[in-house]
Amino acid sequence: MFNDTVINEINEIRAKYPDRKSALLPALYVAQREFGWLSQEAMESVAHALNLPAAFVRGTASFYSMFKHKPVGRNVIQLCTNVSCMILGAEKLVDFLKTKYGVEPNATSEDGRFSLVIMECIGACGTAPAMLVNTDFHENLTEKSLEKILDKYK
Amino acid sequence: MENFLLRNIDNPNSADIGEYEKSGGYKNLTRALGMEAAEVLEEVKASGLRGRGGAGFPTFMKWNFAKADPKFPKYLLCNADEGEPGTFKDRPILEKNPHLLIEGMAISGYVLGAEHGYIYLRGEYPAAKDILEAAIKQAYEKNLLGDNILGKGFNFSLAVHQGAGAYICGEETALIESLEGKKGQPRTKPPFPVNVGVWDMPTIVNNVETLSNLPLIMEIGGEAYSKIGSEECPGPKLFCVSGFVEKPGVYELPMGTNLKDIIYKHCGGIKNGGKLKAVIPGGISTPVFPADGIDCAMDFVAVPKAGSMLGSGAVIVMDESVCMVKVTYRALKFFEHESCGKCVPCREGTDWLRKILERIENGFGREGDIELLLDVVKVMIGRTFCPLGDGAAGVVTAMIKHFRNEFEEHISTRKCKLSEAN
Amino acid sequence: MITITINDKEITLDQPMSVLEASRQAGIKIPTLCNHEILKPYGGCRLCVVEVERMPRLQNSCTLIAADGMVVKTESDVISEVRRGILEFLLINHPLDCPYCDKAGECELQDLVNKYGATAGRYKEEKRKVPESRKDQIFARNMERCVACTRCVRMCHDVQGSSSIAMIGRGGHTRMEPFTAESFNCEYCGNCLTVCPVGAILSRLNMHSFRPWQVDKEVETVCSYCGVGCSLIAQVRDDSIKRVIPKLGLGVNKGLLCSRGRFGYEYIGSEERLKTPLVKKDGELVQSTWSEALGIVADKLTEISKVNSGSSIAGIASSRCSNEDNYVFQKFMRMACGTNNIDSVSRTGFAAAQKYFEDLLGQGITGNMVDGLKHSETILVLGGDPTNVNPVLGLSIRQAARDGANIVVIGNAGGLEKFKTVQVVPHVFEEAEVLESLLLAVSKEKGVRGERPFVDKELRVLADRAPKTDVEGFEEAKKALLESGSTSIVMGMDLVQRTDGHRLLFTVAGLTYLLEARLYLLCERPNEQGLIDAGCVPEMLPGGRPINISDFRAKFEAEWNGTLPENDGLTILEMIEGARNHTIKAMYVMGENPAFNLPDSQSVKDALSGLDFLVVQDIFLTETAEMADVVLPALGWTEKAGTYTNLERRIQLQKKVVEQTGGMEDWRIIAELSNKMGYAMNYSETEDIMREIARVSPLYRDLSYNEIAQGNCLWPYHGEPLRGEVNEVPGMHDVDKEYNADFYLAVEKPLFHSGTLSRRSEALMKIYPEPLLKVGGSTAAKIGLQDGDRVQFTTSSGTIEALVAIDDSIKDNRVYYSNNFRSGGVFSVMKFNIDKVTNAPGIEGCEVRIKKL
Ligand SMILES: Cc1cc2nc3c(=O)[nH]c(=O)nc-3n(C[C@H](O)[C@H](O)[C@H](O)COP(=O)(O)O)c2cc1C
Ligand code: SF4
Ligand code: FES
Repeated sequence: MFNDTVINEINEIRAKYPDRKSALLPALYVAQREFGWLSQEAMESVAHALNLPAAFVRGTASFYSMFKHKPVGRNVIQLCTNVSCMILGAEKLVDFLKTKYGVEPNATSEDGRFSLVIMECIGACGTAPAMLVNTDFHENLTEKSLEKILDKYK
Repeated sequence: MENFLLRNIDNPNSADIGEYEKSGGYKNLTRALGMEAAEVLEEVKASGLRGRGGAGFPTFMKWNFAKADPKFPKYLLCNADEGEPGTFKDRPILEKNPHLLIEGMAISGYVLGAEHGYIYLRGEYPAAKDILEAAIKQAYEKNLLGDNILGKGFNFSLAVHQGAGAYICGEETALIESLEGKKGQPRTKPPFPVNVGVWDMPTIVNNVETLSNLPLIMEIGGEAYSKIGSEECPGPKLFCVSGFVEKPGVYELPMGTNLKDIIYKHCGGIKNGGKLKAVIPGGISTPVFPADGIDCAMDFVAVPKAGSMLGSGAVIVMDESVCMVKVTYRALKFFEHESCGKCVPCREGTDWLRKILERIENGFGREGDIELLLDVVKVMIGRTFCPLGDGAAGVVTAMIKHFRNEFEEHISTRKCKLSEAN
Repeated sequence: MITITINDKEITLDQPMSVLEASRQAGIKIPTLCNHEILKPYGGCRLCVVEVERMPRLQNSCTLIAADGMVVKTESDVISEVRRGILEFLLINHPLDCPYCDKAGECELQDLVNKYGATAGRYKEEKRKVPESRKDQIFARNMERCVACTRCVRMCHDVQGSSSIAMIGRGGHTRMEPFTAESFNCEYCGNCLTVCPVGAILSRLNMHSFRPWQVDKEVETVCSYCGVGCSLIAQVRDDSIKRVIPKLGLGVNKGLLCSRGRFGYEYIGSEERLKTPLVKKDGELVQSTWSEALGIVADKLTEISKVNSGSSIAGIASSRCSNEDNYVFQKFMRMACGTNNIDSVSRTGFAAAQKYFEDLLGQGITGNMVDGLKHSETILVLGGDPTNVNPVLGLSIRQAARDGANIVVIGNAGGLEKFKTVQVVPHVFEEAEVLESLLLAVSKEKGVRGERPFVDKELRVLADRAPKTDVEGFEEAKKALLESGSTSIVMGMDLVQRTDGHRLLFTVAGLTYLLEARLYLLCERPNEQGLIDAGCVPEMLPGGRPINISDFRAKFEAEWNGTLPENDGLTILEMIEGARNHTIKAMYVMGENPAFNLPDSQSVKDALSGLDFLVVQDIFLTETAEMADVVLPALGWTEKAGTYTNLERRIQLQKKVVEQTGGMEDWRIIAELSNKMGYAMNYSETEDIMREIARVSPLYRDLSYNEIAQGNCLWPYHGEPLRGEVNEVPGMHDVDKEYNADFYLAVEKPLFHSGTLSRRSEALMKIYPEPLLKVGGSTAAKIGLQDGDRVQFTTSSGTIEALVAIDDSIKDNRVYYSNNFRSGGVFSVMKFNIDKVTNAPGIEGCEVRIKKL
């Protein structure tokens, strides 16, 4: 369960909305930050903090693809492969990540360094192909630039 | 035309309130608060502003419905979910010019009698979240948000609500559900959000770009605004161009600019001197134009006449190296992934379409598959709960209409020539 | 008025509704999957499409509101084609395992495909694979068959309010799951089973043991568990109940059931049922014959009544037996044995409270329709958890909460935890102070009504007491009550089982009176009201006619052809006392288990063992029966017919469903005995008895089985006016005691159990297999307890070992343990005093020490 600091943070979020249910998405982000992913305990903690049924919390959480429903590596690569990125070579980057870093789509490399999530359009089509690593945008990717960028994430 | 929506965005400090004010920012809010709300609404009516979220619904009309509803409080929601593949037009406003949006929302709130606003921001824009929240804080500090704004007795609170990766949450009723802490599944209409919206109260949902036009309407007046661009849908429009052009990016151009000009004049033509094959004019959910179909004014009236939709103004340009079967397959993968699951035709239809397309693309297509695709599409069109499913069906129909030979070739030769070549 | 045309038929609607509802009203069928009468429209399946003139595309009739002048067509080639297309979509990922699926035969998908026809198998791709889950004891979950209509989830969330399941995932991968994806760990109402159109959720109780079309008969009857009296359908094959289901729109429950009603039916076929009479020989109960056993009982009772007078005999009736059984029983005790010593375990709760309220406020004051709860602006809940004791009534409270009513809870909220709007948690056993302050505040505001002089007088006495208003939530509670235009009060029996019970009852009566509220008494057993109506109380004849009024007595003597004993009889606790001091020599227990179901059960046993003669008539060899000199096997629910009167005072028919086991109907046993003892009773079927009741009881006047079968029989029935006079009850007295122990023991009333019956139901035992000590979060933290810890808890009269379950809805320092399992019920370690006004046992102040093992 959450400690008091987190509970306070959630209570502050709650104050932004007229009902407690609406604080669910932001509270799930908090839980994801605290637990690393939305484990059963993480979701129970949210349910408890907002006095919502746990199954309801899980139902909502499971709908959204940016919530992590299993443990992830230290760095999460969210690579777009939608049409604009695809036609400019995103798929090759997926292969490259596979061979070079041993990370498959929707999985984590054995060393726990990277998880790869295939994204539907991240709003960087003009600078395609693009990805988010954790919360940073990286655009106009090539195999070379990708390698250089990922060097920074240990 | 001088940039308005993208004004200052080359300034590295453009998101700061000081910079924004330097170039006249928030004067328009002051101006609006000095007028009666009804007067401001008249300006909006005169401007002829139409929603930039995709449907092009007249903004004045929507606002009028919400204003006419006697229930209070009313809510103003900014749709910053920008999820339509190919679209990245709202992002520069959100990241570089957040005060323009905040000012626009405050003006809108004033007009509507809404005292609370939320910006529903897609989860994929984490930087924008921080930028918006910092900007909102600055605006509160200067009493441009909060209680009794600028001493004019108008209260308006604003907060950012972060989505979490669901395209369908861009649909306004799904957005409302999501804001309420539920799955983002569209609601039955009627009742419309203007009457029964978030927390069952009258609610206006407007796109980032739509709301960001308010300061301009205040600045030059509705009448002058209505003279910009197309007659039936005036104003500046952000076009975001991606794919095979020399200079992809976001362009602020008058509504109605010809697609051909956008590609060849503004974006420097096809990349590496390649040959144009097809253009998706308004984001992936809009039907494709073949190369010879792009002589078209880009607005909410002309594009539908030409057989597609303006959508979000997301222009995806494809040259001869692009396999259209693969694009169709990838688009359907997207729709299948993003179908909310509520209605049968979309949920099962996108799944089936994707599976057939996948097999055609991979060389396992069968005789009759094209007819099968069209049959499946027939069950979907007009039957889905919301336009997502319709969009998916429309994409397949248009692709087969214009590029049937590519599909046939895939099936008869049992391979994808272009993918192999790449 | 709205007029629309559907399939050339003009239809006039008197209220707004969807085109689908309008069609149904006109008898026009439109196929649906996601729509369900009990649930709000959803609009997901798109099967209900219709053509509407002047509307561009096909419209969804379930969500389209009928507008004046609409012209609708529900069938056409285009519509059929769309429906076929949708059905094909639904089948592409469906496993098509009908031969194996229990739903086949009552599957809505199967029926629809049958009607609209399947298309040729054009789908050649891989189907979505989701293995069937049997990780739950009761439910099997097969998500390949699921059509994602979300009916189950909407039922669970919007109607049941349990919110234990959800649609997990998105798009085609959406599937229904409970939170842990394994056990449902829910309220096990099974209402999801009712609404699932396909075989995606099925009960495991009779899995693969029958087909819906293979039932020999379906009998509409009434549940045997609690005082709500839900209607249900028992499906029978080979003379055994295969399944119990509710029926849409029927009865109090209108299509809903709780776990006990739906899954608790198996006890009736239990191996442990008594099949022959037993007679004690050399200290052992041995099998006997009816003639021997009845002979012994008749002789012995005749002898004792002659030697020691009738007042040395006592009879305990049963709120699990029918009106007819109980009527015959009290008549037997009064006329054949010559005593008014007739009471029941109901005296420890419902009967005591009901008498108190009727004395103060008039007959019928506690009989209000469950439906009324939904129309309340404020519902005050106190003294127990309605969602556990009377689950289906609890649903109405939850519904009211969803519709915006204020739910004011005094004490622990239990299943209303997520629905309450105001909560006041008094310090344990200081409920009276808080309630009196509340009453005082209300009377200050509302003034004195002046209709009940006695109540008004007591209210003035109360005004001298210092209000106690510092408890959290008090002000909100007061506000909610004062501002409410329509109030209901729902009271559980925890308030009665107190030494100061009458004080608490007075405050509830006062609030009811001043707020003109509807008063509901939670009613644990199916016929607590009927038992009183039938005259199984020491001071009243059938119809609630006081025995000490000679006019009434004379009327009954004429009807019954004999002389009635004059004085009020003993209440149940007085009978036990009598047994202890040998003023009571013989006791006749019908369908009750006092040696287990009364507090301080060991001392009750001790007292009973001093009797000269004990007869127990039951369907199981209960703790009391084990002590008996003669045990007579009775028939149970579904083996016999009879009427029951629920907590709303609705009279309903339980029907015979299966053949009997070797026992006899309670009334028949007693009638035979009576005849043997020289008081003639000539009934050949229950209807004979009802005809007599309908003649002698003003409440059931002129009532016939025929009319009961039509439904909606609420007394007073064609009757004389209700008993008008109101009695004075003894005034209030303080109970001076300090309560500062760390923890107090209280009685848990679990949702899944009722005692003797439920512990013989395999399903209910699977859901809740052993009693748990329920402790609140703060109690657990204080002594470092975690879920699943084993503890020993000790009161002044004994020790019990149990596992701990933490329940966050418990906000005070009570710990709860049930009295429903075979061994070590909580009553075995609880002492009590008697509330002199209500004659109910006061079991408060039961200090308990808890030791972690
Ligand atoms: C599937 C779907 C996705 C949508 N996504 C977006 C979106 O990402 N951003 C947006 O502004 N509008 C989106 N819309 C349109 C909104 O429903 C709504 O029309 C819009 O927010 C209204 O704002 P406007 O009047 O300013 O255009 C979407 C609609 C559908 C059907
Ligand atoms: S069309 Fe698709 S996204 Fe829209 S409601 Fe239906 S299932 Fe959901
Ligand atoms: S019943 Fe209308 S859409 Fe399912």
